[in-house]
Amino acid sequence: MNVLRAVLWKDLLIEWRSRERSVAMLVFALLVVVILYLAAPPADTPEARAALPGMLWVAYIFAAVLGLNRAFALELDEDALTGLALAPADRGFIFLGKTLASFVLLLGVQAVTALAFGLAFGVNFAPVALPFAGVAALGALGICVVGTFCSAMAIRTRYREAMLPLLMLPLLLPILLGAVRATDALLNGEALPGLALQLLLVSDGVFTIVCYLGFDAVLDE
Amino acid sequence: MSSADNARASQAATPALSLRARGISRRFGARVALHPLDMELSAGGALAVLGPNGAGKSTLLRLLAGLMRPTSGVIEIGDGGGLNRVARRAAIGLVGHESFNYRALTLRENLELAARLHGLADVRARAGQSLAKLGLAGFAERRVADLSHGLQRRLAIARALLHEPRLLLLDEPTSGLDPRAAARLGEHLRERATTTGAACVLVTHDLNFAAALSQQALVLVRGHACALPEAALADAATLAQACSAAVARLEAAA
Repeated sequence: MNVLRAVLWKDLLIEWRSRERSVAMLVFALLVVVILYLAAPPADTPEARAALPGMLWVAYIFAAVLGLNRAFALELDEDALTGLALAPADRGFIFLGKTLASFVLLLGVQAVTALAFGLAFGVNFAPVALPFAGVAALGALGICVVGTFCSAMAIRTRYREAMLPLLMLPLLLPILLGAVRATDALLNGEALPGLALQLLLVSDGVFTIVCYLGFDAVLDE
Repeated sequence: MSSADNARASQAATPALSLRARGISRRFGARVALHPLDMELSAGGALAVLGPNGAGKSTLLRLLAGLMRPTSGVIEIGDGGGLNRVARRAAIGLVGHESFNYRALTLRENLELAARLHGLADVRARAGQSLAKLGLAGFAERRVADLSHGLQRRLAIARALLHEPRLLLLDEPTSGLDPRAAARLGEHLRERATTTGAACVLVTHDLNFAAALSQQALVLVRGHACALPEAALADAATLAQACSAAVARLEAAA
């Protein structure tokens, strides 16, 4: 747990000083919302409303890819990744620390993006704020778990910026499916669908365990 | 008990540490970076690894550090079958080509991070002591990005020594250091070898430093190794001659 806390503290402190990832993620997510607004202006038709959850998660996932691409890039300067790999502890804790740091950043970006999305498309999140926050957090957790693992795999490859989405997006399908279905139900005033919630929980759990266990091999050169 | 606690407990139980490598080799695809190699280093000993650029010296250090797995062969660090991977990382201090530090953090923050990663108690005091030992106390609150190369190098050494490792793996430790700092480092390593039995594998082109510190020497050329006789370490000039002859022999054979 020392290692998890140390890595989390380090990543958040560096981000607090540079604001490099959070600003880039936020600007990108807001830009996606603006582009979606221009491409498909809000209309009070069932088809237009059905597309909203998917559009929101498109903004989230694009912002996440941008941020996660940088998650391990900062470890390349001065070969800091080797310093982490030399920690005498289960390397899975390094993975968890980095995942949690990205998760915190993505949660912040999600909150601001949801506000902007609500204003742009006339969506009132207030009545479903709590369950929506839960769904967004479960989705963000899955995205960060898979993204951190894939980012670590891609970081030593030549085309790392292109590799991350190629590795990550196919694996995220169950998480995105669950998150979009759950968001759709909430925005339509329905109860959270059990199947979507189960899909999110199971995907998060399975990916967390597999990535935690596999991270030691990923750090080996 | 956490894995770091286990590692520290194991370190306390066996204060000195020996190193044995049997037939270790490493390939990167079709390229052989290191041909099968045997080496042995007892507690308190120092082994200099010499040779031209691209000979496989840094690969050897990274294999010994457990950062990469050998394609063949076995590395044992510690007696009785050797330490496991986690305990080995607790016992090792590595100085690499780069500093392993974060440019956005201050020197103190970097060392505190390293202390936390090693599960040390009283991280602030440990970081302060380590900075003072390397003459960096006056720079403690400066960010690494604002430091000269030489000071960054000293910080890298401070980081490697922070947890009092029993096996030091040093890749060009004097590169960028002024002569006084290099001499202080040599004294410190000798003192550690005497008082704690810490062993040292030293990759260097600084033959004065190698001759002053080491009892054994190994020359690597294109991944092929050749041990030098103990007499070659009498002084830098003798070492230079022996090293040149070994390089010529290995190049002819390769």
